[in-house]
Amino acid sequence: MSPMWGSVEQYSAIHWSWAIAIYLFLAGLSAGSIIVALLVKWNRHERSNSSIWDAMIKAGSVVAPMAIFLGLFILVIDLGRPLSFYWLLIRYNVTSIMSLGVLFLLIYTPIVVVFMLLVFERSVIKYSFFAPLESLINLVKSFHSYAKIIEYFLFVAALCVGSYTGFLLSALYAIPLWNSPLLPILFLTSSLSSGVAVNILIGLLFFKSTINTESIKYLLVLDTRVILTELPLLGLFFIGLFYAGGDAPQAAKMALTEGFWAGIFWLGVIGVGLGLPLLTVIVALRSHVYRVGYVVVNSMVVILGVLMLRYYIIYAGQIYLG
Amino acid sequence: MEKQYRLIYDENLCIGCQACNVACRVENSVPDEVYRVQVHLHTQGEFPNLGMSFERLSCVMCENPPCVSVCPTNASFQSKDGLVHIDERACITCKYCILACPYHARFVNPIKNVVEKCNFCYETRVSKELLPACVSICPTDALSFGDMRQKQSLVHQKSHKEVLVFPKAHLGTKPKVAFIPNRKGMKS
Repeated sequence: MSPMWGSVEQYSAIHWSWAIAIYLFLAGLSAGSIIVALLVKWNRHERSNSSIWDAMIKAGSVVAPMAIFLGLFILVIDLGRPLSFYWLLIRYNVTSIMSLGVLFLLIYTPIVVVFMLLVFERSVIKYSFFAPLESLINLVKSFHSYAKIIEYFLFVAALCVGSYTGFLLSALYAIPLWNSPLLPILFLTSSLSSGVAVNILIGLLFFKSTINTESIKYLLVLDTRVILTELPLLGLFFIGLFYAGGDAPQAAKMALTEGFWAGIFWLGVIGVGLGLPLLTVIVALRSHVYRVGYVVVNSMVVILGVLMLRYYIIYAGQIYLG
Repeated sequence: MEKQYRLIYDENLCIGCQACNVACRVENSVPDEVYRVQVHLHTQGEFPNLGMSFERLSCVMCENPPCVSVCPTNASFQSKDGLVHIDERACITCKYCILACPYHARFVNPIKNVVEKCNFCYETRVSKELLPACVSICPTDALSFGDMRQKQSLVHQKSHKEVLVFPKAHLGTKPKVAFIPNRKGMKS
């Protein structure tokens, strides 16, 4: 029976659903994988103009554009009016994080595509199908002396894309679980973690011939550090909510103890996403001995954990309002 | 001259008849399953010491509207009079504003597929010097509406006579809808 004032469904509807969670994940994955590729390029390559790229750089340069294009496609499809998305490109509002995100993506997306073309320059030239791209590559190569600056620029753009998804949610004070200044840094760290995992995974699957086990060890050490940063960040995130006024403490309490999403947090985000990788490091990869089987499984587990963190934050935020 | 609108809802005069709810639906062609305004009834206490109170749920027309600052296309905008409107043409229905609103006043119109909310009946009534539909229909005069800049207006007089409560004032949104809180009947 509905009350005399009618249906109240609209007050508890989930307005941002799985599509947004997946977009946040893919945007983070894209930014993370390009950041990791650049870190390998800067720290592990002896000569910056090496023509035989490390598998980690190849993986990052492929994953970053593909993930961001897929993510943006899902994002636009999920709009109530997908065909009206062009308004995002012609009207801007500087106080809206979504609008700033559009600007970041307009800068970031073309650069990652160019980066991919440069890394796969030889493959591109091999096929006549890609002939039109050749002139683009040559054009870009003429800027070769600015390569380092463009890479730094790409790095900063990736940091912006990786963190704006956090600001997007934290800007809303109507939703206590989202309105935390720690959300952007939490999303950025976890996207770095997913970047390491996806690059190792794609590198091992598709670019085996150029794998450098030293680079993989370097990344596994990096990932352990990132996960060890992420755990205290999650702790601080909830402690911050408990100390905040208003509805935040109640919302945080419910999000940690009630229903399906509390289970996802403890089992999925903490257990699978952060606990298992740490356990793998302690048990199987002690002193980072390189074992392919464990590394592949570990990467998939990390990616799953990052995806679940996005799902958890999106849904728990809208459900547990205090 | 620019107006300084205010809508005052007197919880003591409301009888929960939902005439405002129905008048709004008719005036603005609101589809069946969604609402621009509802009046909820809360019953508290234990028999025989029961008490009731009413709560109006609708857009409160913030002076500092969070729905406007988050809108990426400026489809959600504030007019010179401080009223918050939606430009349906530029609304991409990203629902960011729905999430940003602490009053849960916004929803997606399932027929037009754009975001919608109470607009004080601005285009159809208020701009023609008429009262919003909910105010004009209210049988107990629990609702009053007008310009605070006009000293003789009902809202100006009521604002000076009564203690007004602004919903979720601590958020700093500065609503233009005020409540005269329930003085009797409520058993906490």
